[in-house]
Amino acid sequence: MPTPPRPLTALGALVPDCALPDGSRLADRRGQPLILAFAAHAWDPAAAYQSALFARLVQEFDGGAAFVDVPPPAETWHALDAHGAVAARFGLTGQRALVLLDEQGRLRWQVTVAPGQPIQAGQVLAALEALRPAPGAAPRPAVSAPAEAPAPGSGLSRRTFLTATLAASALLLLLGAGTAAEAAPPELAPNVAPRPAADGTVPLTLRINGQSHRLQVEPRVMLLDALREQLHLTGTKKGCDHGQCGACTVHLDGHSALACLTLAVMNEGRTITTIEGLARGEELHPVQAAFVKHDAFQCGYCTPGQIMTASALVQDQQKRSAAEIREAMSGNLCRCAAYANIIAAIQEVQGA
Amino acid sequence: MHPFQYQRASSPAQASAAVAAQPTAAFVAGGTSQLDLMKEGVLHPELLVDVTPLGLTSITPLEGGGLRLGAGVSNTAAALHPLVRQRYPAVSEALLAGASTQIRNMASLGGNPLQRTRCPYFRDPAQPCNKREPGSGCAALGGYNRVHALFGASDKCVATHPSDLAVALAALDAQVQTLGPGGPRVIPFTELHRLPGDTPQQDTTLAHGELITSLDLPAFNGRSHYLKVRERASYAFALVSCAVALEMEGKKIRRARVALGGVAHKPWRLPAAVETMLAGQKPSEKLFRAAAAQAFAEARPLEHNAYKIPMGRNLLVRALLETSGLQPLQGPAGTAFAASVGGVSGEVAAQ
Repeated sequence: MPTPPRPLTALGALVPDCALPDGSRLADRRGQPLILAFAAHAWDPAAAYQSALFARLVQEFDGGAAFVDVPPPAETWHALDAHGAVAARFGLTGQRALVLLDEQGRLRWQVTVAPGQPIQAGQVLAALEALRPAPGAAPRPAVSAPAEAPAPGSGLSRRTFLTATLAASALLLLLGAGTAAEAAPPELAPNVAPRPAADGTVPLTLRINGQSHRLQVEPRVMLLDALREQLHLTGTKKGCDHGQCGACTVHLDGHSALACLTLAVMNEGRTITTIEGLARGEELHPVQAAFVKHDAFQCGYCTPGQIMTASALVQDQQKRSAAEIREAMSGNLCRCAAYANIIAAIQEVQGA
Repeated sequence: MHPFQYQRASSPAQASAAVAAQPTAAFVAGGTSQLDLMKEGVLHPELLVDVTPLGLTSITPLEGGGLRLGAGVSNTAAALHPLVRQRYPAVSEALLAGASTQIRNMASLGGNPLQRTRCPYFRDPAQPCNKREPGSGCAALGGYNRVHALFGASDKCVATHPSDLAVALAALDAQVQTLGPGGPRVIPFTELHRLPGDTPQQDTTLAHGELITSLDLPAFNGRSHYLKVRERASYAFALVSCAVALEMEGKKIRRARVALGGVAHKPWRLPAAVETMLAGQKPSEKLFRAAAAQAFAEARPLEHNAYKIPMGRNLLVRALLETSGLQPLQGPAGTAFAASVGGVSGEVAAQ
């Protein structure tokens, strides 16, 4: 694990003023929370999830936040050169990083993303969510469950989150009063139509594998694409994208369902489980273990979907005949035709 | 997919008003068929009103012995409900012989009868289709019309309705409860769908913004059964299917109601004269063959679908034999195995 960079400025301390590429000065921007994004060339601003992440970040600090604009070519991409003077000022030369300053210009949060790793929007947003005070309540500790438990396979190490330090600092009122007032937990108000932003995206909180993820998506985004492209939960596969192959099977409220045929926005308030959330730590789900034992795959592409359908199926503890298993599993295709072994694996779990 | 706005319904009346107010708005519930068609560019609503927050997920016995199935109940929940299985096995069989486990978990009963045709020309925006684009023509008429209609088609459209459930509901004379801009109403299920005529773009008699709130099954003291022929043993639409509801009096049939699937723009209830042929008679293969011959007397095959006539006749005879007990079901009543001609993967589940 890489050692998290030690900020040149201690968390909670005032960041020294410096010149910004657009000619303004950092100190001129006090009075509103500020996110500085340091982008390296490897960080492709065209990637949709990254754009969506930043749209979400803007929304998060709506009514107060600003990015430091840089001129084109990054027209819609508000970022600072990771090799530039400001990055050096923050001790972040060459690193992809997000830095959050509060209205007073104090350093509140910082995250770096290792080279070659994706930034996981959901985790960053979960961290931000943890910083957000509950409406009308005293600021809660920053380290709440969502920020504390990164998803397996995360590209963002928990050690790069400095939220623990933030918790100690206790003073976390980063948001303006107006923003805080509308911060009702979405699960308490599931029937309210989400208000679209100017670009047509809507805010969304999804509960996936026990964690809450805040996203900003267009209503037409399928759950599958939100999982894969925004949250980087790529265990859920895209096969046909038309509900015919079952590769995208997840559990919605405990039932197997196709992530390619449901809108992400329709899944707020549901309990979503993906293949990443099936094992308990190092302990495989019995269906996963049985698939390994029975060699129930070749190329493996359909396997997450097969396992999600099968693991939902065995919940009722019925003993099904091979014919009944075939019928129940008919929505999952396997081009390698590992069917015999898949059925053997399911039969073993049923018999256990 | 075209962009659209998304709203969550707060009440059936609000949902109905929201859709009624905008010609390009639509309800969405399970979405399994609708969202797929939106991906294909066949449908492009500008507003989707999500009716899943309305619940409508209960199954409640009605006074007099009927059963109310909320429009938001999933296909799986309805199929496995003890009262549905026990009183209306044809409904469970039709549901379980349709789609896949995942789709049955997602799909709603209210949406199921409203799914659009599987005519391949409807689903391909590059082809002319009067249902998709009124006035553009019908590519199926002179095209590959193997899966198309035998009854009630027009020179504008020869598509069939794909729902299995709808066939069972037609045989059982279910009632559709709706809430529309003009208030609530009750529609006999057999009048929910329409024939294509000159306006094949209209699948149903529902007004724009009229929301199905429940499907009500009337009291039924008899045997019901659904039987389906398809090209694959599972997860395929019917080439031809048949739902039978038989009420007996002693050894004689008191009343028979039969609907066919895969043969028309709507679930095809047999003409009253054919159903009447069966009433007062003792079940026999001879009787059923005579009824089947009569049932298909008016069939008008296209170039590639004439095979459906003997297939449909044989299926109808078999469905009547199995429902009346003259021939055993292929699997336990109320399961996909009872409903599937040829079993699943050539096997049938243990009885």
